[in-house]
Amino acid sequence: MTLAVRDGVRILGHAPSTPFAGLEDSQVVQAFLEGHERAFDELVSRYQTRLLNFIYRTVGDRERAEDLVQEVFIRIYRHLHRFDQTKKFSTWAYTIASNLAKNELRNRSRNPLVLFQTIKRHWEADHRPLQFEDSSSRPDDMFHKRHLRELVEQSVSQLPEHHRVVFVLRELEGKTYEEIAEITGCNLGTVKSRLNRARNNFAAIIAPQLD
Amino acid sequence: MNCCEFREKYSDYVDGLLTSGEHSEARGHLASCAACRRFDAALRTGLDALRALPSLGVSHGFGARLRRRLRGEFAVRGPVVARWSSAVGTLLLVAAVGYIKWDLRESREMRRAQTARSSAAWNPQPHPAPLPAYLASQTPVIRARFEPFHPMHSILVVEQSPPLAMGGPPRLDLPAVWGGP
Repeated sequence: MTLAVRDGVRILGHAPSTPFAGLEDSQVVQAFLEGHERAFDELVSRYQTRLLNFIYRTVGDRERAEDLVQEVFIRIYRHLHRFDQTKKFSTWAYTIASNLAKNELRNRSRNPLVLFQTIKRHWEADHRPLQFEDSSSRPDDMFHKRHLRELVEQSVSQLPEHHRVVFVLRELEGKTYEEIAEITGCNLGTVKSRLNRARNNFAAIIAPQLD
Repeated sequence: MNCCEFREKYSDYVDGLLTSGEHSEARGHLASCAACRRFDAALRTGLDALRALPSLGVSHGFGARLRRRLRGEFAVRGPVVARWSSAVGTLLLVAAVGYIKWDLRESREMRRAQTARSSAAWNPQPHPAPLPAYLASQTPVIRARFEPFHPMHSILVVEQSPPLAMGGPPRLDLPAVWGGP
């Protein structure tokens, strides 16, 4: 159901609520495992938009992101009986989504030139000094002046993949450091380091355009 | 705190994870460093703009497509548990059929062997030499003959005359097919 169209983007309403709408994720999962198929519809309804936005911000392709979200739910359906219900369902769903997004980016980078450029960009992003240079006198030969919305979208897409995932999970999905560590399979120190680098890179990309 | 140290601790500063002393130091550095102030402002403005972006929604028909894919996947293959159960069941069935066939073949072989042994047991060699006269009259005779019992089967009748007595071995009077006269 379309609620509004804003800037060419359709804002879709939520699906009609199921009988499980008021339950916690763990209770909905339990209901599904007990045979209530509609409980799975509730999980889809709760997570489809969040996962779509997360994957889209990571891979940058809306159509492909929607395919990957479908794949996430298929894997959830297939393996829900093996899910450790002492853990958070949200973290598990995002872990699957993160892995699929990383695989998608990895598959795209199999072009040797793309792979070389990716490796080079990652290395520079991890090893560039964290000093912020005042670039007001630096010629802006990299970017044209753009509307702020396109600017920030492009800034995120220009982040190296391993920074981008952490950045999106923290800044847009609101995940804690511990959740991000579990989703990405990294330790806390690595998460903090990557997030710090991502924020520095993000600011370095957009700052010249904000003057 | 210099710019490098500020950058290293910037994430913790934004997330409120610094100690009160470190937080004061970071704020003091921001107040005194234009470049870091510009950096902080750029990041916050950018993040505000990023979070203000409209949230994407799934396209029309997403739910229907997903249900179709789930039906297609699990109608053919079934949930993982059922797939494994049916695979194990199939293997057990094949193994059971194989065992039954083997057992039947073995039984047939054993019956054939038993029949052959029975035939051999009733196929003794004729006496190697004629009996001495003084023994011939005292030797008991065991006669065997076939009598019809069924269109497909005959029974073997064994008669002994006179009863076995102490003395030499009995003389066998067997049908010709078994080596008799």
